[in-house]
Amino acid sequence: MGNLRNNNIIRIFFEYFPMILLFVSVMNDLDFNDVGIKYFSFNFSYILIFYYTLKRKEALGYVSLFIAGLFNDVIVGLPMGISSLLFLLLCGFASYLRNITLRPNLVKDWLFFLFTLLIINSFSYIFLVFIFEYDIDHTNSIINTLFTFTFYIFFTYIFHFIENFFVGYRNAE
Amino acid sequence: MEQSRDDFVIAIRSAFLKKGTQQRFSLLGLIFFSIIFLILGEINFKPINYIKIAIKEIAYRSTFIVSGPEKIIGIGFNKITDHINHYSNYKNMEEKLDKLEALDLSNQIITLENIKYKKLVDDYFIKNNEIFAKVLIDKNSPFLRSVVLNKGSKNNIKLGMAVLDGEYLIGKVVEVNFFTSRVLLISDINSKIPVSISPNDVQAIMSGDGKQNATLQYTQGTDLKNNNEDMMVTTSGAGGLFKSGILIGKINFTEISTTNNLKVNIYKDFSQLKYVKVISFTKEEKALDQTSKDELKTMDAQILEATKQKENIRILLEEKKIAEEVRKNIEIENSQLKRKIFNLQTKLTKTEEAVEEQKKQKENIEFLELNLLYGHKCRKTIFNKLYKVGTPEYKKCVLQKGKM
Repeated sequence: MGNLRNNNIIRIFFEYFPMILLFVSVMNDLDFNDVGIKYFSFNFSYILIFYYTLKRKEALGYVSLFIAGLFNDVIVGLPMGISSLLFLLLCGFASYLRNITLRPNLVKDWLFFLFTLLIINSFSYIFLVFIFEYDIDHTNSIINTLFTFTFYIFFTYIFHFIENFFVGYRNAE
Repeated sequence: MEQSRDDFVIAIRSAFLKKGTQQRFSLLGLIFFSIIFLILGEINFKPINYIKIAIKEIAYRSTFIVSGPEKIIGIGFNKITDHINHYSNYKNMEEKLDKLEALDLSNQIITLENIKYKKLVDDYFIKNNEIFAKVLIDKNSPFLRSVVLNKGSKNNIKLGMAVLDGEYLIGKVVEVNFFTSRVLLISDINSKIPVSISPNDVQAIMSGDGKQNATLQYTQGTDLKNNNEDMMVTTSGAGGLFKSGILIGKINFTEISTTNNLKVNIYKDFSQLKYVKVISFTKEEKALDQTSKDELKTMDAQILEATKQKENIRILLEEKKIAEEVRKNIEIENSQLKRKIFNLQTKLTKTEEAVEEQKKQKENIEFLELNLLYGHKCRKTIFNKLYKVGTPEYKKCVLQKGKM
């Protein structure tokens, strides 16, 4: 009986794991957007959202993405709503890729992620610089985009491993 | 072509418009909502501002809780770094301590000299009563800047006693009850303190500004506005209530030219007071009789002793430095000498080998010469029973010129 209850907890944890990870990462420094190393930063939230929208769409709800974006804006100090918009756009691009893909291919996903990142960061730049008059360091922005793109593969394998680890509990559902 | 455009539109529509299972809003709807949120936030629409405030409250509190483990990791990491850097820190501290010891002695000398001269001019105050008290109430009213302490006349608190936080003056006692007392802070408009302004030693009266700081009044016609450095404000000791030299605050030279009143930035933040010291000062009343003369002599002796100690420390530090230099020089010389010895030994070995070679060659030449002359006397033939060519006996015979 106890074992069953434990399994149930793990199953629930597995279900909400990406969402928990997303909220923890936006509330902590775990989004790696400012790790204190010069010329090194990447956006963990983007990787997480893109991967899970592509692989397990039901793991991240649109509303939770919207709220996570609002939290991110409050903590980072950006105009409220901008991160929500970017997260949802990212989610939209991933959904589109999911719809048009018949045979998933990691390299194609990876390249599409780069394309999405460029579009999203362009949106972010347009909103922040031209509308809200923020100053953005171009070098940091480019480095962030490049590292986010590069680390996608690495995190894909980690998330894949986690998904496989929990797969037993998922089937039990 | 038409087919592929249709596919694209269907995929887009499915991605952005279709609600998934358990999804209450479509993606496009939420994107539009975000844009509206951004626009309304930018034009300061009131309901959005309230929502923003609520979200901020929730986000800050949640972040505080969620970042708990991260803080623990951070503290752990700092501890490990501290342990790793322990040795280098210790070495730095040791060096600093050496310097500070010398400085401390200088400080002691200056303090003793100061006391000595103050005694000479009969201006030496000593603390005759020091009471520690807790701040009970520090609620500010717009009319009075004061705090209430938990000590009163029962604990020998008297009107006019100075109240210090650490070494900084914060006010004086203006009301004494049996168990409590009220302190008028120096930032109150009614507080008037005689102060001295360094470095020019200008005397003035300082009055509170009713908030956190104070302003200078009656600077005796001295124009401080031409000053281009920060000035320190301390009690002047005029009136005999406070001793001179208690720290109060400073005047920033950047603010001198911009304002008409000279603003004193008080060192202490009155909103952070917790425990304070209530002190009264009395003048040490001693004429220059025999006892005080003896005391002065003792003090001179102490100054001399401290000076000697300081000099000793200086000498020791110098000696240490010289010893360190000598050690380094010796090390360098040692390594040079070792290198020289090695070179000489190599040369010597080569020379010895050459000599040995030469000796052998000489012997060979001598043998060959003698062999030409006396070889027939030693060589074995069918007519004699002498020695076979090439044997040691033959060589010996040749060298002895055929005599055996």
